[in-house]
Amino acid sequence: MDPAFVESVLGVGRFLAATTLLLLLTVPTAFIVGQLELKIIALMQLRYGPNRVGPRGMFQSAIHGFKILAKEDQTPDRADVPVFTLAPWMVFMAAAMSMLVIPFAPGLVAFDSDIGVIYFFAIIGLSVVGMLVAGWASYNKYALLGGLRSAAQMVSYEIPLTLSIVGVVVLTGTLSFTHIVEWQLEHGWAVIWQLVGFPIFFIAAAAEINRTPFDMVEADSEIVAGPFTEYSGMRFGFFYFAEYVALFIMCGILVTLFFGGWLAPWPFPAQLDGFAGTVYGLIWFFLKTYLFVFIAIWVRATLPRVRVDQLMGMAWKALLPLALINLFVTAAVVLIFKL
Amino acid sequence: MTTTKSRPAPEPPADPEEPRIPDPIALDALATAAPRQEYFGFDIVPPPDRPPQTEREVEVYTLGDGEMLVNMGPQHPSTHGVMRLVVKVRGEVVIDIDPVLGYLHRGIEKLCEEATYTTVLTYVDPMDYMSAMHNEHAPAIAFEKLYGITAPRRAEYIRALVVELNRVFSHGLMMGFLALDIGGLTPILYGFINRDEVVEMLAAISGQRMLFNFFRVGGVNFDTNDEFMNRLGRWRANVLDNVEMNEKILTENEIFRARTRGMGTLTAKQAIDLGVSGPNLRASGVPFDVRKAHPYCIYNELEFDVITHPEGDTYARYMQRIAELKQSIHLIDQIVDKMPHGPVQAQVPGIIRPRPGRAYAAIESPRGLYSVYAISDGGPNPYRFRMRDPSFISLQVMPKLMPGHLIADTMAIMASLDPIMGGVDK
Repeated sequence: MDPAFVESVLGVGRFLAATTLLLLLTVPTAFIVGQLELKIIALMQLRYGPNRVGPRGMFQSAIHGFKILAKEDQTPDRADVPVFTLAPWMVFMAAAMSMLVIPFAPGLVAFDSDIGVIYFFAIIGLSVVGMLVAGWASYNKYALLGGLRSAAQMVSYEIPLTLSIVGVVVLTGTLSFTHIVEWQLEHGWAVIWQLVGFPIFFIAAAAEINRTPFDMVEADSEIVAGPFTEYSGMRFGFFYFAEYVALFIMCGILVTLFFGGWLAPWPFPAQLDGFAGTVYGLIWFFLKTYLFVFIAIWVRATLPRVRVDQLMGMAWKALLPLALINLFVTAAVVLIFKL
Repeated sequence: MTTTKSRPAPEPPADPEEPRIPDPIALDALATAAPRQEYFGFDIVPPPDRPPQTEREVEVYTLGDGEMLVNMGPQHPSTHGVMRLVVKVRGEVVIDIDPVLGYLHRGIEKLCEEATYTTVLTYVDPMDYMSAMHNEHAPAIAFEKLYGITAPRRAEYIRALVVELNRVFSHGLMMGFLALDIGGLTPILYGFINRDEVVEMLAAISGQRMLFNFFRVGGVNFDTNDEFMNRLGRWRANVLDNVEMNEKILTENEIFRARTRGMGTLTAKQAIDLGVSGPNLRASGVPFDVRKAHPYCIYNELEFDVITHPEGDTYARYMQRIAELKQSIHLIDQIVDKMPHGPVQAQVPGIIRPRPGRAYAAIESPRGLYSVYAISDGGPNPYRFRMRDPSFISLQVMPKLMPGHLIADTMAIMASLDPIMGGVDK
């Protein structure tokens, strides 16, 4: 047989296997992040949190998942049914597909693209379409307000988010996440070079995935649940899943871009060879990612929510100029010192 | 039970032979209503459209270009009970607001008119359920005036002690609810932890956790006991630290300040014109406190100043409550120091029959001037029993405060006014 044909068939098979594995990975990820959120917020609020289902309440969020599966799936009378049905799927797929380009360990990446960074921001930005149409199709005023809020918020925060990344891209000279991590193996973690870029990315990422203090989209004391108001059953479950998966992915990308991805911190050897190296990298990647997940949950337990006009003001008046200055300084440093 | 009250005779039962003439207006409305819908085999007849009744309703419910009515409540997560706000918005900006009340009306005033003077004190507890002790305090004073007795000195001190404890947890929870409406999840839990300590303490003295039923005409139900005093001592040892911990999350928080400063400013003139009282009035700079202006109970023997904040915005109302919370703790110290010995209940018969007359009593509840007007006709139950609830008065300033702010601020402003719907709807 033609070796090129075999190669392409193998490539398609490999891609399908990786996609399936990642889709399967989203389920435990959502459960673990959800469980962490329940437990950590309980810890900060001086209460026990879930402690009945399984040892130390470990299966509480899994039970939440099953409960959602068992619930009746309702569609409002005057909803735009096809769009209403598609919207949760779009939001969930945007979160799941963006997982493809994350390098979990050396060689362990589903889609090692040269334009991984562009792919990632293109795909994660799709979730805004899902939110907007969910708000529109629900035929509910709260949902409509939430959908429009999500569109305004996510579109504004895409810009500082992307600009803060361009700093890293200019520094490393590549758009591939794997190469960015490899650059950090030689030059040290990018956060050292991007002291302004990292906080901008962290704030903008929190706004991009609707985490407190930027959870305008589903501000429960104002607009009930925003675009998700009319959703029930597994359709709501997809939004719920997507939210936690997006939190994990954003923290994973943050670790990859600024904190050396799979690289171990200083006293440990940065990287090992062979199969042990893969496991070693995986462990460090997940440790660092869940550290940032913890910080995001900590922020949620502590801070109140900003108002919608303050949110937009911050994006355009503070983060965007800062990101531009950061990009300019980074580019100047790269030019002058020929990094 | 015999009453001298004149009540209308019940209508005679309808004659079954007489043909029933349908109301032509109702028929007309049915004919023009929406087509019939079916729900599991039952016909549903939607209610006819209700035309606006007043000029104000015409103003609120007439939509201009780009405006939309959003119906918040009565099942909205943050309307503090069952309250409905019809909010007219243009985009996110609130143009007008129409509070709709009455979803929690239980007819408590009427129930009280059917009850004896002693049992009235059990009915008034669930009105303003965040300050049940204050609810009992006002009618107790009014009935004592009617009957012409005074409570023993020790009973007065215990009363002052429990109402100040109640004020502490009510203000503590208000901080939490305000934070919750702004999106902070944690302060409400800290507020409830502090409330739980106080409530367990009050349960030790009264026997119940929420609706205490502690006051009696001519005294209080129980004297203090060891468990109460132990809990009081333990609570007092760390309450200021706990309040500070709660405050640390909010007071200096940049987001909280940005969300509350300059929001919903109530001027002193507006507040006086609309009859606002309590912390909301004092946060607008008017030094009126019933405890100081018309001393009742033992408040003229205690040292305290009327705290005011001049700004009148949401942040000032929040700071006002924290200051008053600390002031209440200071008052509790004084009360415990000065508490005399003696009986806690005056001699009163089981069924009280005051001479015909009328009495008025006003107290300072956590939400403002809380007063009772009772008329006796010589019978065992009050002829007329009326309560002025400060939450109800506070709600009427909302249409003045909210236009021009965003939807997000309506909830913050409402939480800062601290209405309790149980008291509003009675």
